[in-house]
Parts: sequence; structure tokens; C-alpha cells
Amino acid sequence: MNTSPFVETILSSDPAIRSRSIDQLCAGRSAAQLIQDAEELEAFRHASGNLYDRVRACFFLYSIHRFQIPQRPGLHANSSIPYHGYVHLLGRRFEEAIELFLIAQKQQGPGDGLSSALASAYHALAFQTLADQVRSSVRQVRGNQWMFRVGHPGDQPLRVRPELYAPLTEGAPAPILKESTPVRMDMTHSGWSDIFFLGMDYPEGAKVLNVSIDLAVRGRDQHPRPPVEAYFRVIEEPVVRLTSVDLGVSADITDLAELFDFARDYLGLLKGALIASGLVPPGIEGSGQQLSDLLARLLGNGPGRGIELISCVNGIPKGSRLAVSTNLLASLISVCMRATSQTESVTGTLTEPERRLVAARAILGEWIAGSGGGWQDSGGVWPGIKLITGQPASEGDAEFGLSRGRLLPSHTILDREQVSDETRQKLQDSLILVHGGMAQNVGPILEMVTEKYLLRSEREWNARANTLSILDDILGCLKRGDIKALGAATTRNYLGPIQTIVPWADNLYTTTLIESMQKELGDDFWGFWMLGGMSGGGMGFICDPARKEEAQDHLHRIMNAERQRLQHSLPFAMDPVVYNFAINEHGTRAELLDAGSAPLPAGYYALTVPALLKQSLRDLPAGRRAELDAFGTACRTREEFSGMVQQLFDHMLPRSGGASQGRQQLEALLSENGFDSESHELIRSELKAGRIGLAQNRLPINAEIKDVLPGDVLDGIGSVPAEVVSLGEEALRQGLVGVMSLAAGVGSRWTQGAGVVKALHPFARLGSCHRTFVETHLAKSRQIGTRYGASIPHIFSTSHLTHGAMEALLKSVDNYGYPGPLVLSRGRSIGLRMIPTERDLRFAWEEMPQQVLDVRAQKMRESVRAALIGWAQSMGEGADYTDNLATQCLHPVGHWYELPNFIKNGALADLLEQRPQLKYLMLHNIDTVGADVDPAMLGLHINSGSALSFEVTPRRLEDRGGGLARVDGRVRLVEGLAMPHEEDEFALTYYNSMTTWIDIDLLLQVFGLTRSQLRNAIAVTAGIRQVASRMPTYVTIKDVKKRWGHGQEDVLPVTQFEKLWGDMSALPDVAVSFIAVPRSRGQQLKEQAQLDGWLRDGSAAYVETLCQWE
Amino acid sequence: MKTTRAVITAAGRDQRTLALQTLVDRDGVAKSVLQVLIEEASRAGIEDICVVVCPGDEAAYKEAAGSYAGRLQFTVQDKPAGYGHAIYCAREFVGNAPFLHMIGDHVYVSSLTQGCAQQVVETAKLHDCSVSGVQATRENLLPYFGVIGGQRIRGSEQLYEIERVTEKPTPTLAEQTLLVPGLRAGHYLGLFGIHLLSPTVMTLLTAAVESAEPGTSVQLSPVLNALASHERYIALEVSGKRYPLDTRYGLLRAQLALGLDGEDREEVLAMLCELLAQRDSGKVGR
Repeated sequence: MNTSPFVETILSSDPAIRSRSIDQLCAGRSAAQLIQDAEELEAFRHASGNLYDRVRACFFLYSIHRFQIPQRPGLHANSSIPYHGYVHLLGRRFEEAIELFLIAQKQQGPGDGLSSALASAYHALAFQTLADQVRSSVRQVRGNQWMFRVGHPGDQPLRVRPELYAPLTEGAPAPILKESTPVRMDMTHSGWSDIFFLGMDYPEGAKVLNVSIDLAVRGRDQHPRPPVEAYFRVIEEPVVRLTSVDLGVSADITDLAELFDFARDYLGLLKGALIASGLVPPGIEGSGQQLSDLLARLLGNGPGRGIELISCVNGIPKGSRLAVSTNLLASLISVCMRATSQTESVTGTLTEPERRLVAARAILGEWIAGSGGGWQDSGGVWPGIKLITGQPASEGDAEFGLSRGRLLPSHTILDREQVSDETRQKLQDSLILVHGGMAQNVGPILEMVTEKYLLRSEREWNARANTLSILDDILGCLKRGDIKALGAATTRNYLGPIQTIVPWADNLYTTTLIESMQKELGDDFWGFWMLGGMSGGGMGFICDPARKEEAQDHLHRIMNAERQRLQHSLPFAMDPVVYNFAINEHGTRAELLDAGSAPLPAGYYALTVPALLKQSLRDLPAGRRAELDAFGTACRTREEFSGMVQQLFDHMLPRSGGASQGRQQLEALLSENGFDSESHELIRSELKAGRIGLAQNRLPINAEIKDVLPGDVLDGIGSVPAEVVSLGEEALRQGLVGVMSLAAGVGSRWTQGAGVVKALHPFARLGSCHRTFVETHLAKSRQIGTRYGASIPHIFSTSHLTHGAMEALLKSVDNYGYPGPLVLSRGRSIGLRMIPTERDLRFAWEEMPQQVLDVRAQKMRESVRAALIGWAQSMGEGADYTDNLATQCLHPVGHWYELPNFIKNGALADLLEQRPQLKYLMLHNIDTVGADVDPAMLGLHINSGSALSFEVTPRRLEDRGGGLARVDGRVRLVEGLAMPHEEDEFALTYYNSMTTWIDIDLLLQVFGLTRSQLRNAIAVTAGIRQVASRMPTYVTIKDVKKRWGHGQEDVLPVTQFEKLWGDMSALPDVAVSFIAVPRSRGQQLKEQAQLDGWLRDGSAAYVETLCQWE
Repeated sequence: MKTTRAVITAAGRDQRTLALQTLVDRDGVAKSVLQVLIEEASRAGIEDICVVVCPGDEAAYKEAAGSYAGRLQFTVQDKPAGYGHAIYCAREFVGNAPFLHMIGDHVYVSSLTQGCAQQVVETAKLHDCSVSGVQATRENLLPYFGVIGGQRIRGSEQLYEIERVTEKPTPTLAEQTLLVPGLRAGHYLGLFGIHLLSPTVMTLLTAAVESAEPGTSVQLSPVLNALASHERYIALEVSGKRYPLDTRYGLLRAQLALGLDGEDREEVLAMLCELLAQRDSGKVGR
């Protein structure tokens, strides 16, 4: 019998035992005991047939390896991760990876690195298992299964309804079926309980109150209306014509395979709808059959006809947190189902079973097209206010025996008895809906929620229970008609349980808005509510109806002002918007329109008519000609079509002013920042000729790369001798030390190329406030300075991308009250991004080891990459990248330049004049938040007598990108880009933290300089140029975001060049040391998804102990 | 439930000539489809047959019936008002008694010594209730048939209690409401075209015709669906095949089925082999 408390927790039906937290289970257990527990869990996982038992075991194992074992004493710090296990992990062969890591653990003993690898594998395996289950459940929904069996046009059992062929008026084209769908607003949130996994494991805890609403953008639209529209019609050409009015794209598709290529254009959602509604059954993918045959079958009466599907969201911006895209998908699916008799009625509302099927198919469509949402997201299909609850799986359900809950929840529409008309009106009069303008990826948040739910951490689990009682409160408020109390409840929800479960749902922008509303309205501000996964985008503010107008004005003003203030710190995708809204009491509805009266949205005609006008009228099918006639009449008679002629004219003869203005701005920036066009052209020609490129970054294939030997590294992890520490302390007291934080970059990975200044990102709440990286680093220097009675000069290196924003922010916060000298060292080096070569893109995507994604996401990625290679070819390989905002076209040229720039721009000379005793600098990356001027590390550096001491940290799985090695016998840092063999990196014990102790005079010697020559521009330039020529130049591919439309974003790969600081360790004439430091000191925050683990594993608390806030 | 009366419907405006086509029957004799159907009914013990036709078609049908003409009565459906309405036209012939119903545009080939209609009639006699012949039908053919939903009767391999009947369902609806345990994936029980119906059907049809909006048509499937909630109504999975004549190559298929089932089987096979041998190897299965 198995007595493991972990297994007992998983298997127990007693909620008190089942809900025990992992922390509770691990308390007081040693590393050896935890390894034993992990072995038992591993055996249980393999033996269990129940999906959720297996998944929970995986999460327990993940947590043990990620958070528990690394914190236990006596761990083997230098465990090495088997490369083949890593390769399995990349290939999504998680079981095989775990097996290899466990064998290594048996051989080497438990270690930090191995635990990180195991944690990563268990985490990924758990999510893969959950995702597989959702998919399988979606396929098994009755009414969806047949679509996977249809593999040939002859098997297509659907037919388009006869009503859709017959024109409503004589001579008009076939009628148009229009579906109008509201979006959904989530009032209760309930701790993200609409995540499928949660509903399927804990149906009794999965509950939300969800309202269908119509929208109008305040100041633009007159009245709220259903924002989502889908149109279907039969056309006279044998094609599938897909048109997205909002994204301005239309395509005639004649090839079946193209309908399954979702990233080729912006029509993925429409394609997903055609497939999920069964018109193009998913089973026919890859069959090699003809689309025309499928259309002939679907439309009957032989070949010659096709269908057109049109989507329109009336300019509602992306990221509104109102589930616009899921409701659009549902609307498209619904219109397709109506058109093929899959609903009882072609027009009007849907029946409850039909709504459920539409919702199930929307989930299917999202899976097929590689996107995803929660189970409440298609709430707009239902009318009014509804309580959506998870349902336990019972016999007969596809989920029965596999999961505790069903995939699809049930919807209870609240009637007028429960929520009166008066209350509904009050809600509309009190609530201000906005889009704050921020664009963020909610995906990591949803993963965090799932993980925490399955781990049952005590605080989060209590918070989850709390959300449910708040839902009951909100329901009570609605029944009583007490909107003020409702506002208090939603605020309590946001400030309490939501942020307890995921602190990252909040941000500085939202906090500022709430505070400002409180200040402006006083007691008349009733509350805040967060829409969707996180705040900053769609949000709700509740106030006294008497002050709503005024509050809307204020909110709009303050959002614009804050956006302006924080534009470089937080990723904004668009200008903030205030909505007017109304509760939609119908849900999705359809009507049949006469095509002879130009009933499509004006934007549709603006998009399609120019192409028609370029053709001879005689060549157009009769239906198209009739449509043009109707459009012409509408332009002359209908108000909403006024201005259409001008719009068409602009469309056909586009103005070029905007582009040339952008170009001028770019050129001005280049010349201001010392752009070297000569070397740029040289690099371009080398790149095009294939002499430089990703493949050429690597060291020669015969370079011998070995791990370092024990004596190669100074020990900064164990205790440092007191006399060495006192060397550092004395230097601090004498004011010999300064800090240089590298802040020239924009952190491409941090916001996926959104171009915000990472240093200014208020990334976490520390000391109860949101703190930027800059403030955090200053707080550490302040604490050390106070302790040793000396003010520490703090230098931030900047670039054209960051200088202005840094300067403005520091001025606005009065340098965060920092007592010591604070210097901005402006970079004078700049590069212009280029269009990558196909060779480099293929190398990056095909030759380099890649994380394989799950099957649908992988397919989507391949499709995106094929499209991007096509884009690169059409733009011209190696051409300048100029098709974006000027700042997005430029790039910093690598952090190697940041220190030479500090010499070149005179800032070092100024500082030395001001503080001649300054002798040492600690240089570090902006995201190494645990690095401070630790006297022990400084003592080690001073004691070594080296010019440079680099801090390295024991490697974990996620630490990719080079490390400390013996290259042909010499100890040096090797960049990941330069590794000739991927597996070499896995033999290296230490990873480069980038934190470097510098002896200023010895470094100047490397540049052939002395302190007295620092004002000699010629000597400085020559010295720097001489060292630069010895530094390798790396070609890299980075992502850059291009924003367009209403909050839409494209992510494009661009080529840039850089020289990296770590290569200084390779110069033979520079005396270099290496210091091993603990992870808490050396860890870098590269992605926001790391933040939660950083908070939970104690790293954040550690950083707080280093800081002294203003 | 016993009967000696049958109603054959042949009033569909697109199918009015199908029953007049000539085929070579299993016995090697050339006959009209109508004659083949009359003989099928006769094997089931039917004595009197009413054929529902379009106005002006009686003479042609009488001629096509050949020596059986004397046993037939004709009823005219004045205007195309639906399949259910066509049966309703025979209400006087049927009276208040059960009746066998066959459609005029199908040919049935039994795989037993009993005919297809005979199997239905005997089942009705044994269970004393209405019986519809059904056949497992692949979902791609759903646009052509009425489909039943129900449960297999315990202890029987071919009998089902009918719970609902839907005309030409979409696969979506079929999967949600018409799945019958025991059938292969993607298969449903499609109506075979032979029913033995109780007098209740005529009562329900009368009510349906009387309540129908002018200009709308009355179908049989909704009435059969209502029948399932009124009284016991079962389906027999007929041992045999139906061959609809109104599909592409329907007549050819029916002829081949009859030929291969009868005494000229060898001759028909030889003919097929010869045709095959003359052809290049093609895209089989495409």
C-alpha cells in the first residue's frame, strides 16, 4: 500500500486532504526525503490511469524540483544536465527527457541544474497532457465528431440552404445572411475559473457572471450595437472568398490546403470558422482533394458557385478583454451553421442546444487555428446576464471517468425576477468601460493560475474560495439592485483574491488610474473591475450615475496622460478608448438581407470596390455588377456611405506623405546618433555575400571546448575569508567603487519586441510599490552606501532608444532621491536593422535546436515562418528595414560598446574629476536584480589583481547562451552564438551572469589609455577602435513589433549586429578572474513569465533585503 | 397488425417517370419498375394496391402495370403538396386499416428468400405495431433520407424501438439525436422506403394536412416522428438493399443489382468483366 502523503493528497476524496498545499506537504522534509517522495510520485504517475491524478502528480514533481529541492542544503551545485535529455525536451518527448534526467540524478546525486531540468520537463508534460485532454474532449462533443471523418468532397453531407440562392428582389444577387453578436463582459472573474482545466477538474469552483453587451466607442459611434458581425452569401464564382473588414484583407481561395494555412494572411479566424462549422470539415485536411469539388457538393447543382464569408468588429480594438475574437469566431460559425441547415431557423435567435454547439465549435475553431480562450468567452452567443457554471461529468458524457467536470459549462440566464430592468439600467448608468491601451500576453498568466490551482498553495487556494464568496455577493447585489455594493465587491475581488493568485494581473498604470478616480470622485467612485486575464487593457470603473459623464471625461484624460507618461515603461498598443455600452438581451441573432440594397458594412465596399473598378464591367459576373449598382446608389443616398467616394479615391491613389515623413525622421535619428553608413554598407555586402551570418558567428569547428577546472574559479558561493571581505569593505568606505548598469537596450524578449525601455519597466511590487529596474538598482546602491558611509556613484549607460526616456523619468522622480552621483552615459553607436537573409532565417529556425510546439501551434509556427521567409524575399534580403516607426528600425550595437562609450562621451572623465579616488566599477545587466556592491565579491576582485572579474553562476536548464569554458586551454566566456556544437554548452558548469568587476586603470591600459588621456578625443577614439577591431561581430536575428490598425501587431524578424562584453575575457593581454556566485545574485530576468517563479522561490524577497527605498 | 392493402407513391414531379422504366428482373424477364414493385408487394400478401400519381399519369401507369393493371386503383395528387400529402390522398382507399407503403422510385433486392416488403409485413404481424424498414446509411447520404433514432430491442439483432424520425438531418443533428448504439461510426438508420403503418398515421396525416399553411408541403417524417410518441413503433433493419432510381446512375445500379441477384448472374458478371477488361486501370477509389 502506498503511504506517500503526496499520493494520498492526490487520491483523497476528502476535500480537507485533497486540498493540502504542496508547501504544507514539503515542510520539514530534507532533500533526500523529497527525492524519495519524487520517486514515489513518479511511480504513481506511471501507474495511474486517471488524467487529473497524473497531471497533479506532474505539478507536484515540478514544484518539488523547482521550489523545494534547490532550497535544501547539501545539494550538489555543479550537476550537469544531459544534452540528449535537453534535445528530447525540445522535441516534446517529455517522458524520454525525464527518464534521462532521472538516470543522471541517480548517477550524480541531486543537483540544482538537474532539478531545473526535471522541473521544466514535468511542467511541460503537465500542460501537454491537459491540452491533449481538452482537444480530445472537443472532438468528442456530439455534433463535432462527424467532421473528423469526412475526408473526401463526396462525403460532405452538408448542403447550403435553398433560401440562400434566391434573390430577395428581382435582379439582385443572392441574399446575404447576417449574424450580429454581442461581446461578453465578465463581472466576477472568479480567479480565472473559466480556464478549461479548472472547470474540468473542479467544476464546483468554476463559476462566472457574464453579461452580453453591445458597444459604441465614445465620441465616435452614436449608439451601442452588437460589435461583432458575420456575413455569409453564395457567390457566382467557384471560390471561397474571405474578407475581414477590420483588418482590411480579402482573399479568393481556390486551394483546399490554403484554407488550413492559418498564418498565411490575417484570415485565420475566418478559415477556422469554415472548418469548425463543418463546411470545410477538418478531416479533409491534407487529402489532396479539390476545393471546387467540395464547393460543388456543398452548393449542389454542379460547379460554378462559391461562398463568401465576411467578418466585421466595427473597429473594436484588440485586447479589449471582452472576448471579441472568440465571439467573432462564434458568430462566423453560427452564420455558417445557419447557412447549412445546422440550426433550426435560418434567422432569429438560436435555441439552447444550438448555442451550446456553437460554443463547443468555437473551442474547436480556436484549437484548429492555434489560438485559445476560456469557456465563458463565447458568452455573447447567449442573451443578457447569465451565471455560467462548471458541470460535473456524469455517465454518458465523453469526459466521464477522465475528468471530474465536463468541457462545456452550463448557462443559466438570469430573468427579470432575479435581476430587474431597473437594476440592469442602473448598471449601464454606473459602469464605465474602457480599453486602457496596453497590449499584453495573457498566456503566461493562465499557466500560472493553472499551476497554482493544481498545487493548492495555501494563500492562493484560500483566495480562490474567497472569489466564490465574492461571486455570491455580486449576485446578491444584482438581485437587490445595489450597484454601489457591487462596485465594492468587484474592487475587493481585484485587490484581494485576484492579486493574491497572480500579482502580475495588476500594474502601475492600473493602480494609478484607480487612485486618480478615487481622488477625483471621492465617495462617488464605487469600484473597479478587471476584465479578462489581466488589467491595463479592458477595464471597468463604477461610479455614481450622476457623475458618469464627468467621470468618463476624467478617465479619458487621465488614461491619455498616463499613457504619455508611461509610454516608454509599459507596452501600449494603442490610444486608450472609453466605450458606451448596453446589455444585449438577445444574444446572437441573424437576418436575411437583400443584396440589392448594399447592406454590407461601408468598410467592405471600401476594401473590395477599388479592385472591381479596375476591371472592365463586362468581365464582372452579373451579381458583382448588380452589387456595384446598389453600392453606387447607396453612396448617393445613404448617410453612412457619405465620404465613401473620397475614401475610394484615397484607396486607389494612396498618398505617399506618411512614408516619406517617417524616412526623414529615421535619417535624422541616424545622423544624430553617429550612424556609420560606410561600415553599414560593408556589413551589408558581407552579409549578402554570405561571409557573415548566423552560421559564421561560431568558433572554428575544431576549437576544443571543455569545462573549467576547480582552480579556475574563485568561490563566491561558500564563505569568503574575512580578510578578503574587509578589502572590499575598506574600498567601499574610501569611496573607491561605482556601479554601472547597462540600460541601452529595450529588452526584446521582455516585451516581445514592443520597444519599451526595460530599465523603466515597473516590473514588480517591492516594498509594497511597483518598482522599475532603475529604482531597484539605486535602492541597492543606497543601502550599501548607507552601510559604509559613502555615496556610490551610479552610472546608467543609455542609447538613442533609452536615453530620452531615462532622462525624463529620472528627472520626474528626482533621481528617486538617490544621494550619490547619478550619471547617464549616452551611447554614440547605432545600427540600422536589415531585412534578414533567407539563409539566416533558415539557419535560426532549422539548424538551431528549437522547442517543438504542440502539434497545432507547431503547424501555425511553420506557416508563420514560411510567410516570413516570403516577406524577407519580397522586401529584399539585406535591405534596410525602414517600414516601421523610426525607433523600431534602429538597434543598439551590443553591450560591448557601452563601456567604451562611457570613456568616449566624457562621462568617465567627468566622474573621475569629481571623484578621483574612484578605482573600481561593478558593471551589470539591467535585469540582474540580485547583484549589488557586495564587499565580499569586491574583495575577491581586489585580491585577484585582475583587470576584470566576471561573475558566473551554476547553470540551470533555462540558462542558455554560452558559459564559462576552457577554449583550447584558455579560460574564457563563450557566447552561445559562438558555440560550434550545441552540446558543448551542456558540459559547462557555469553560466555568465554578465556582472563584471572592473579595475578602471587596468582596463584603460587595455585601451592603451591613462586617466590623463581621457580628454584626448583622438587617443580615446584610436584606443577604442583598436580594441573593437579585436572583438568578434555577431549577426543576430531579433523580433520587432509593427503595430497597425486597432491594436493589431505583427512580429517580424530583423537582422542586427552586435559586439558582446563577455568577449573581453578572450583577450590574451587582459588579466581576468572568474567568481562563482549564488543564483540569487546572478539570476537575470529575461522574460516576464519568469517573474512568478522569481517571486515564489524567494528571489524577490532576497532582492528586497538588499534594497533601501527612498 | 395485418393488411392486404398497399399504397405506392409515384406523384413526385421529378420522379413521375421512374416507375415506368423497364428493367430486366431477377427471373430474366423485362418488366416495368411498377411491375417489380407490385410483385414485391404481392409476395408480402398484398392484394389491393393504390398508386398515387400526378394528374394525367394514370394511363401510362396502367399500361406499365401490364397484367396487374386490374388490381390497381389510382389516386391523383392534384398539386405538389409533399410526400405526406401524397399518402394522405389515398385515405379513402386505406380507410381505418393498416396499410403497406412503398415508394415508387426505389427497387428492393432482398438477401433472404422472403422479399423486403414481406419481412416488414411479417414483423408487423408479430409485434402488432407499425414498422418501418431501415438500412444502415453512411452519413454522407443523410441529405437524401429520413433517419430514425432509437434503441435496439433487447434480444433482437434487427429490431429497434423508434424514438424519433428526422427528415434529411444534418450530420450535426444526426450525431446529437439519432445515434443508435451498435452501428458503425458515421452510420445511421435511414428509412428504407417500405413501411407498414397503423391507421393512426392517416389520422396524424389528416391533422397535418388540415393545419398546414397554404402553399407549404406536408412531409411524412414529421408524422412518423409524432407516431413514435403516440404508440409503439419499431424499425426493422431489412435484410436486403434499396436502390433509389432518382440518383445519378440509379437506374443502372438497380438493374445491375437485379441482374446479379437473379438467374442471369453469370451473364451479367461476364459482361461487367468484359467492360472492365477494356478499360485502363483507373483511379480506383477516387
